[in-house]
Amino acid sequence: MSFVEHLQIWIAAFFMLSLFSFLYKDNPFYKLAEHIFAGLSAGYYIGLVWHAVILQTMINPMIQDGKWWLFIPGLLGVMMFSRFFKGFHWISRYSLAFVMGNTAGIFLLSELHGKVIPQVQATMRSVDPSQGFGGLLLSVIIITGVISTLLYFYFSKEHKGLLGGVAKLGIWFIMVSFGAHFGYTVMARISLLIGQVQFLIFDWGGSIQQIFF
Amino acid sequence: MIVLAYILLILAGAFLLYMTFRTNDRRYIYLAVAFYVIFPVVLTMQLPIDISPESQQLYDAIAALPDSSAVMLTFDYYASTLAETEPMSRAVLHHMFKKNCRVVTMTTIPLGGPSISERVTRDLAEEYGKEYGVDYVNLGYKANYVAVLKGMGSSIKAIYPADNSGTPLDEIPLMAEIKNYDDLDFICVIADNGVVEYWMSIVNAQYGIKIGSGVTAVMAPKIYAYVGSGQMTGLLGGMKGAADYEKLVGKPDAAIKGMAAQSLVHLFIIFAVIVGNVIYIVERRRGKGRV
Repeated sequence: MSFVEHLQIWIAAFFMLSLFSFLYKDNPFYKLAEHIFAGLSAGYYIGLVWHAVILQTMINPMIQDGKWWLFIPGLLGVMMFSRFFKGFHWISRYSLAFVMGNTAGIFLLSELHGKVIPQVQATMRSVDPSQGFGGLLLSVIIITGVISTLLYFYFSKEHKGLLGGVAKLGIWFIMVSFGAHFGYTVMARISLLIGQVQFLIFDWGGSIQQIFF
Repeated sequence: MIVLAYILLILAGAFLLYMTFRTNDRRYIYLAVAFYVIFPVVLTMQLPIDISPESQQLYDAIAALPDSSAVMLTFDYYASTLAETEPMSRAVLHHMFKKNCRVVTMTTIPLGGPSISERVTRDLAEEYGKEYGVDYVNLGYKANYVAVLKGMGSSIKAIYPADNSGTPLDEIPLMAEIKNYDDLDFICVIADNGVVEYWMSIVNAQYGIKIGSGVTAVMAPKIYAYVGSGQMTGLLGGMKGAADYEKLVGKPDAAIKGMAAQSLVHLFIIFAVIVGNVIYIVERRRGKGRV
């Protein structure tokens, strides 16, 4: 391992332990690590966007390929900054209008075509007697869950009688879903901790061993 | 010796849990979790892993591709979720390189994605003797993922005039054969954020290309619905999904090593939740009102 690699590992370990120290209580090491992370992220992001977006997709094609019309999206981008100047902030609305119209157009199609219709289709087609008793039971659970959950979010009629009963069943399905999400969230957070512990034990520990033993 | 260590670990966990309820100080829980994570990692303990059907589905989809297929692997994740996502990327890339697939990598995430993809692809390419520009290409990062995903359907070069190192795509032999999604056989999206849904709703729905995914455990319950509807071909959910794939490709690595700690912490949390609820119910019945 080279000196630079050792240095990288020690810096990473220092900031990791500084951040973990918050678990005991708030302290200057945690604050230092938090502020350096925020500053570094902003700096890195600015550099990356300048290189990968402004240079590569606007300035270079304009100069090298003669695509002069790219100044239009560039101008729309610059107009966004007018929000910071009192009296001129209305100019940014034209850029925002472009973004909103564009986004609505793209997402209207993708959400409907890519999410809503396929999910409704899959739910409708899920009942298939050929998949055996187990499969059929799962399909019935899915359909019951979808209908009861949708009815829970139907607020044009008071949740009483049959509607109230079905809506209550919908709450049960929602609770089970929250439980599944919570279980997976625990797994995710523990995974991240395991990753950091593996780094500290194997990478940082390896570096300590090489330097001191 | 190991058995004794685990008995001590269980006793320590029980004691720390007792101290948590006695003092109402959650830091004892943190300490217990730290114990349960550190010990299995240090002792390199391993538990059996059953492959989930969704992981198997992704593996089968890639295994069924003809040799030298053109595939895309995305690194749509931040450095903060590396523990879950990097093992997935590595395991899937192992499989792709073993199959002699021609791999195009990219990312829609600025903080981490470009450097992680560079590191992982170069590491594995060296192991399999793959040549940059011929067997694989790293396109790097481009902002505005919706425009990127839509635009690559017409022309990848229009979105990525150059690769991650700044080499123009015209000078890369592999990219002469891959112009847009029509030239790709499969896309595997490894993500820790909502972009995976856009891959499905924009690229799969509008261009018809098969997409498989690996996502963080937080996201997995939501993505299961897309696997069930057939919009997603296979899913790796969190560290367990990564461990599944490492086992399937025969490359045990960080995820498999981490699963023992994962299981122990889960058991501890289940135990803590049950004990906590029992204490809560008992104290409520006694009318103490203390939780």
